[in-house]
Amino acid sequence: MLSDPTGSWTPVVLSADLPPGTVVPARTPAGPIALWRSASGRPSASADRCPHRGMRLSHGFVRGETLSCIYHGWSYGQAGNCLRIPAHPGLAPPETIRVATHPVEEVGGVLWVGVGEPATQPPQLAGLVPLRSLQARAGVAAIEAAAGAKADADGLLETTQGSQKIHLLLACQERDETLIHVLLEGEGSVAERVAASRAVEALRRKAEALEMERDAP
Amino acid sequence: MKLYDYILSPSCYKVRLMAALAGVKLDIRPVDFHPGLEHRGPELMALNPAGSIPILEDGDLVLTESSAILVYLAAKAAPDWLGGDAAEEAARVQQWLSFSGRLTASLGGARLHEMLLRPGDIGALQAQGIAALRELEAGLFEQSLRGQRFLVADRPTVADIACFPYVALAPDGGVSLDPYPTIRRWSRALRALDAFIEMPGIHRLHELKPEPHIESGEA
Repeated sequence: MLSDPTGSWTPVVLSADLPPGTVVPARTPAGPIALWRSASGRPSASADRCPHRGMRLSHGFVRGETLSCIYHGWSYGQAGNCLRIPAHPGLAPPETIRVATHPVEEVGGVLWVGVGEPATQPPQLAGLVPLRSLQARAGVAAIEAAAGAKADADGLLETTQGSQKIHLLLACQERDETLIHVLLEGEGSVAERVAASRAVEALRRKAEALEMERDAP
Repeated sequence: MKLYDYILSPSCYKVRLMAALAGVKLDIRPVDFHPGLEHRGPELMALNPAGSIPILEDGDLVLTESSAILVYLAAKAAPDWLGGDAAEEAARVQQWLSFSGRLTASLGGARLHEMLLRPGDIGALQAQGIAALRELEAGLFEQSLRGQRFLVADRPTVADIACFPYVALAPDGGVSLDPYPTIRRWSRALRALDAFIEMPGIHRLHELKPEPHIESGEA
């Protein structure tokens, strides 16, 4: 794993978990973000805080090509500029009202958010098909120990659970929490995918037990 | 049918929601749950010695368990919501109806502790709530692999209504819903249903409401 997150990509959510017209919360080394996809399918990432009253924008909603705050309805475009303030319908919001935005790339069924200004593209993950994401109350080291494998510079590790090869894409969250994206080699049957999902649940239990042991005095 | 109801109770909301979805008109009798503790008073204790709400009264039938009330409303007015008769589907309905009791005990207990200062081990309640949410997330994810958007089938059933309210209000008890992408999609699907009704803290999908247009001239 990269120890310095400046100028890097963080995998925050699977494409399938962000359908058009929705917004989800995510954590990145640059802080909490609201990741949203417009009705036409374009993903965007903004700071998860409305500059008006501080409400989380991930509690908001997407209409057409804009993200709106649930509190007073202020709407923002892809570039983070405020487009509409419902309480002042005749006002063209000034350019200075805007949310901070981050670069987003969608590669291999995963949405990546850029932290700082990454010089390269996110990894391709060729041949891997995303299954699901889950959060573990364990650091990367405990997950590596539970999986019996080390993550590479992209945060990717390969482990064999039962007869299945499973790839885990790890994104370190704050404290000892890790977001795990599960990837498989090819689609697989429904039974194989159910088995992989259950295997990763078991791996998470093991990693969390290791993390608890480590914390114990 | 008369429902002894409290607006902020997720268990009472289950009944109001199921009735709305099934097209049943309820005669609502508000109960002063907080601060009046009316559910512990003689009138309601005579109806339900357990001292809990909701209570549904229909003729001489008195029901005090929310899952039983959901099944009654569905059987009377909207049998599709009971799930199919096939062994597996019938069992899945029962599995999640029973499971919903764990959501009430854990997430509901944490919520009562945080909102009404009820005694309890908040750390343990939250940990049990998180364990239950993880089970629900995994269950819904496996359903999605089978091409089904809801707990039992590709259409909602009483099982979804039994589980939904305490999950949606988990943040009231200090339990975040951020880590559960499949629960998020399930919640959206339920909140987009045509006859969906709200309760304080649970809103219909906002983007489905008409965009407000105020005459300009001000500003």
